[in-house]
Amino acid sequence: MIADIFLMSLDALRSHKIRTFLTLLGVIIGIGSVIIVTTAGSSVRIFIEEQWNIFNPTGMVIGIGTASDPPQISFRDMGFTDHDIDELKKLPYVKEVAPIGLLPLKAIKLREGFLKWQSKAGGTMYATTPALLDIMGMELEEGRMFQNKKSEIVMSKSMTQLFGKDKELKVGDTLYIQRLDGKLIKTTLVGILKESESSNVMSQVTSLSMAGPVDPYYTSYFGSNVGGILKRVTAYGILYASATDKEHVDDAKNNIINYLNTSSDAINYKDKNSDFVVITQQYIISKVDQIMSVMSMLITSIALVSLVVGGIGIANIMFATVTERTREIGTMMAIGAKRREIMSLFLYQSAMIGLFGGILGVILGASGGAFIIQVLNQYASEFGGAFTAGDIPLVYSTQWFFVAVFFGIMIGIVAGVMPARKAAKMDPVVALRYS
Amino acid sequence: MSDKIAIATNSVTKIYKTGKVEFRALNNVSLKIKEGDFIALMGPSGSGKTTLMNLLGCLDRATSGEILLDGQNLSILNDNQLAEIRGKKIGFVFQTFNLVQTMSALKNVELPMVFGEFSRSSREKTALDMLKKFGLENWAGNLPSELSGGQQQRVAVARALANNPSIILADEPTGNLDSASGLQIMNYLASINKEGRTIVLVTHDNSLKKYANRIITMKDGEISEHR
Repeated sequence: MIADIFLMSLDALRSHKIRTFLTLLGVIIGIGSVIIVTTAGSSVRIFIEEQWNIFNPTGMVIGIGTASDPPQISFRDMGFTDHDIDELKKLPYVKEVAPIGLLPLKAIKLREGFLKWQSKAGGTMYATTPALLDIMGMELEEGRMFQNKKSEIVMSKSMTQLFGKDKELKVGDTLYIQRLDGKLIKTTLVGILKESESSNVMSQVTSLSMAGPVDPYYTSYFGSNVGGILKRVTAYGILYASATDKEHVDDAKNNIINYLNTSSDAINYKDKNSDFVVITQQYIISKVDQIMSVMSMLITSIALVSLVVGGIGIANIMFATVTERTREIGTMMAIGAKRREIMSLFLYQSAMIGLFGGILGVILGASGGAFIIQVLNQYASEFGGAFTAGDIPLVYSTQWFFVAVFFGIMIGIVAGVMPARKAAKMDPVVALRYS
Repeated sequence: MSDKIAIATNSVTKIYKTGKVEFRALNNVSLKIKEGDFIALMGPSGSGKTTLMNLLGCLDRATSGEILLDGQNLSILNDNQLAEIRGKKIGFVFQTFNLVQTMSALKNVELPMVFGEFSRSSREKTALDMLKKFGLENWAGNLPSELSGGQQQRVAVARALANNPSIILADEPTGNLDSASGLQIMNYLASINKEGRTIVLVTHDNSLKKYANRIITMKDGEISEHR
């Protein structure tokens, strides 16, 4: 009996294809936008989490800037010294600290006998310490890490094709690195970094740059007058650090801030109006989550409004259908249909609109989500330049598919109750007379 | 024809109220219809014949008086029980056929059996047999809109018989048909009557009197003539 009434409802929908489709549209758009939002949300969330995962969960960036929320680091402000780095490493819960000296290069050159190759200008190299490898959670594919105070560098796998695929650089090759001031430094390539399996911001940055020791490459320093002798003190704008474990990231951060504000060299060098800023990866992830949840709430509320509108559309069309089929309802009553059967007939019909709307909405939303992710990836690669960090993965929150279809059916039923009751309550004599 | 009473009405009155205005559609109508009767219910428009048919067909309730169908007092039954009686004991044939336009002829004939909760296979077989009986087996899959008026009314008669009811109520069944189709329908009704079913035919058409064994003429909500 239920199956028969179900089939009769289906027949009724099929006999008005355009009307059914237009009614479905409201639900499809509502459900579709919910699915698009959840798909885009989960994809971007996973992407961002992947981006920052390389910079391991205990990682943090130390800089000088404004300690507002969100904090800002000015890359121009110099202040940290090697002495600061040594002292920071001694603090409780601090595991490693490495300086980041950004070194723009004029060119990289390669000579083999009479043959010469020269790269285009514009590359950036990190002047740092071997500890960076551990802080950033990177591994070497080949060779070893550079040593301090030696003319040695490591580079990423993709960087080895600097001079072309047929001229791939190997561990042991000699290069000439030309700084912006024109100085040419003879350098040995000692290691090649493993490409991270998940493409992300950090791996991309490192793959575009090379890393070597501060001495002999880095040149930013302060003049310091010690005992009447002018001494050069190397200065850094940014430090990378790691905490001993995830649970003590905030302790490490507080200890670092405390040290910097009390007994560091940097407190003397930095501009009086700037603050020391420590941004932990946990902070970044919490910010991302905050932004994502605000976005999701906003768009989900829009989607909910469109679902309500869709529901009103169903109710409207069901009322029209009931009126239109008045005489049919009378006939069915005359040939033995009970009131609850008439009610079911129309409720099934509206529930089916909700069900189909839900299913089609999920399909639309899933394809729409895939399309949006594709567009985002395309824009990122077109405009992001060196800072694009691989593709945003397409991640579906499949639990939302079921929630959406269920929600679609519920909207159909709720919207159909009043029209179906109207049908069921009809007086058969009046209904049969209706024309 | 047996002497058993199929339907009896005792002083049945039906009053319609529209706001403060009352309209007495039936006034103290008492009659007895025997099993196997072919009744022609006649009279001018507004005389109360359709109202009486609706009451006999359990579609409406009397304001006062009682109606007995197979000895059962209809006034004490609830909506579901009335629907059940309509489904099992009564078959309706309407002037405008009243087929469900979105269903094939076969499905239309099956419909009373759907509400009667017959199994699908028995439904299909019975419906097909019915269509055969009325020469429509080749039209089983067609929608009502693809059938002529005469064919549609034959489908409606087949539907009325689907649940094997003992009473057929036909309200102007030939009113929308050409004379040949009308004649065909009346012959079918006559043959159904011969099978022992009670038929109440509501009509304006004096030429149909000949099919009936009793003629009840109504005027102003009362039976004015009974032959």
